[in-house]
Amino acid sequence: MARMKFYCDAERCIECNGCVTACKNENEVPWGVNRRRVVTIKDGEPGERSLSVACMHCSDAPCAAVCPVDCFYTTADGVVLHDKDICIGCGYCFYACPFGAPQFPEDGAFASRGKMDKCTFCAGGPEEDHSHEEYSKYGANRLAEGKLPLCAEMCSTKALLAGDANVVSNIYRERVINRGASVLNRGVSYQNASLRQTRGMEGKASNKK
Amino acid sequence: MIGELIDGPLWYFAFGVFVLGVIYRIISILRAGLKKDFSRPRAEGSAGALRTLFSRFIPRRDVATRGRLTVIAGYLFHLGLFALLIFAQPHVTFFSERITGFSWPALPYWAFIVSAELAFIGLLLLWLHRVLHPVTRLLSSIDDYVGIGLVFLVMLTGCLALAQAFEPLRLLHLFLAELLLIYFPFSNLMHAFTFAFSRAYTGATMARKGVNA
Amino acid sequence: MRRALIPHKGYGIGDDWVFYLLILIMLSPLLVMSTASAESGKNTQPIQIPNPSADLWREVRQRDAIAVGNSQVKSADSGVLINPYGDKWRNFRMTQLIPYGGYLLAGMLLLLIIFFIVRGRIKVVSGMSDKKLFRYSLYERTIHWCLAAIFLFLAFTGLILLFGRSLLIPIVGQEFFSLLASASKEGHNLFGPLFAVALVLVFFRFVRRNIYQKGDLTWLLKGGGLIGKGHVPSNFFNMGEKSMFWMLVLVGGVIVGSGLVLVFPVFGQGRVLMELSHVSHGITTLVMIVVIMGHIYIGSVGMEGALDGMTTGYCDLNWAKEHHEQWAELCEEQNEVIMEDEVSRLQGDTKANSMPSSLTQETGQ
Repeated sequence: MARMKFYCDAERCIECNGCVTACKNENEVPWGVNRRRVVTIKDGEPGERSLSVACMHCSDAPCAAVCPVDCFYTTADGVVLHDKDICIGCGYCFYACPFGAPQFPEDGAFASRGKMDKCTFCAGGPEEDHSHEEYSKYGANRLAEGKLPLCAEMCSTKALLAGDANVVSNIYRERVINRGASVLNRGVSYQNASLRQTRGMEGKASNKK
Repeated sequence: MIGELIDGPLWYFAFGVFVLGVIYRIISILRAGLKKDFSRPRAEGSAGALRTLFSRFIPRRDVATRGRLTVIAGYLFHLGLFALLIFAQPHVTFFSERITGFSWPALPYWAFIVSAELAFIGLLLLWLHRVLHPVTRLLSSIDDYVGIGLVFLVMLTGCLALAQAFEPLRLLHLFLAELLLIYFPFSNLMHAFTFAFSRAYTGATMARKGVNA
Repeated sequence: MRRALIPHKGYGIGDDWVFYLLILIMLSPLLVMSTASAESGKNTQPIQIPNPSADLWREVRQRDAIAVGNSQVKSADSGVLINPYGDKWRNFRMTQLIPYGGYLLAGMLLLLIIFFIVRGRIKVVSGMSDKKLFRYSLYERTIHWCLAAIFLFLAFTGLILLFGRSLLIPIVGQEFFSLLASASKEGHNLFGPLFAVALVLVFFRFVRRNIYQKGDLTWLLKGGGLIGKGHVPSNFFNMGEKSMFWMLVLVGGVIVGSGLVLVFPVFGQGRVLMELSHVSHGITTLVMIVVIMGHIYIGSVGMEGALDGMTTGYCDLNWAKEHHEQWAELCEEQNEVIMEDEVSRLQGDTKANSMPSSLTQETGQ
């Protein structure tokens, strides 16, 4: 049983918003809803970094804890999903979520909230897999096809990683070690190390012979 | 099963009862005829009828001051109710699908909510006034309370179904609206149509007598 | 494979896996250095390799401030990467508001029941008289009941949303409760602004009689006549009623303000403001409900003759003398005492009219 996680490598994210676009396109999300967004910290200053955020699929999800109608559930893959037939659009999950993942389509007057919409890890919803109902409510179900979320798959710099937490953390650990090593090895700065080829250090798949 | 009944046959039945009932009531009022007035008319009756029909929308000064609450609440309720009955988006859709076949511009959603608020506060105030004022309480019959209660319930269930996401809530709203439609022609709620006749009659009579009323 | 090495962890990587990664990132320079120095064989000084990722994560995860960035997705708070108050709000709601709120309401109910059993219905000691005093005008009664009806509706719908998950879902099931909760939410949102309107009307109508005056302190010191024997003289409203009025106005103002923040998310208000609004909305409404429970108790079963003023507009003279002595005396001085039959006649009560007993009553006070 895998435990699905996202991780965004801030050293690689170039704020292209490709993940945002990929998500919107793949899941046909309602107008005004962005399941994923890229946040740039220290925009235009030294040390600028960008991170792509969406639902983190927490193990102890605050949204699920506060939901007054108890519409959240966690799949066997550790993906936090919700049932839109139960959701009443109260917005409590939006208050509780640290990442700002729950989104609400404006439904009616004064921006009154419609049913919540959030990242599903491209795992659809409680409806039958690949049914029309599921697609119209929750978007794509790539996980059932054996694919990972499109945002991560389409990430041009492979900054956004998605998949089993162990695999993701292994990949990231390798990157960190290689970067640190290349700093020592070549005397370049950390940022350059993460962008340039390393000599003698087998770090990137593209570099392997 | 019950839902299909409410959404289909019962709706057509209720709507039929409403239309036929209203026509029957109006025709029976018209057929009742007028008592012959042998006096020589001092002025044209129809002009007075027309004038009174509209002038009565503005309350007399003493009514406007002493009954300020009921006048304000009355206008809030009726205007709000008509706005949301005729120009609320879900209603426009419903009417165009079920009755007219064509739709018309609906109110923006916020105006729909505002008119619902106005209608609710107006209805609440009028209802309480009716119960608490000794004179109106004496004048009120069970018919009035049933009418108010049905209108209130229809409005309340409509407001509870605002999310438009739960079919049972919509059906409840529709069911109560059907009950209201069936009840409508045989109750005081007919004042929605008969006010015109009574005002016009009074206006015509007064005008014939040369009274500016 | 890895999981086998740390079996007790199981899914333990869980939501703290970011944290583990963080530790890893911070430790990694040391790790790399030790391997590098071992390979080169040189005895070099440890070189600090600042890891920007570690700095970044430290910055966005810090607990005392929210790091705000920029995002191409434009909506309220979209630049906030991590909002640590979300979890605080969650803990407040789940571990404090819901349980303690429930205890508070249940405790108040229990208290009222016990009080009723111990003290019983507070009788008008000298018995109900046949004389009445005019207490509340039609307008005052109308806006009172308007406010009361809206308040009750809002209280019930709000309580359904607050306690429904723990109390109602096990009974009625999730699907039906979802329907009920949706209806409650929409109704609560629609009637909320009306509460503000009714509150403003009530405030302007009753504020003059609710200004504290001489004698109120005595009333408070004597516990409103509940402690010991004898009634404490008071004016049109006593100290308790005045306090309730001001509680209604002030707490009600907070309720209305926070409610409006929550119901109209159109002004770009962020999550932190909404969380704070929700906290204050939750606390103040519970306080309000508890006080109003007491108000309803004393107005209905708790005291004989207390409800009459608000339903018919007239209260009993003896009741007024015992509970609002100063006001009753003032009314008597100004000859405002009305006979019961007169009241019945004014109200068009046919039953009273048919009773010939009115003829035997003395006329004129």
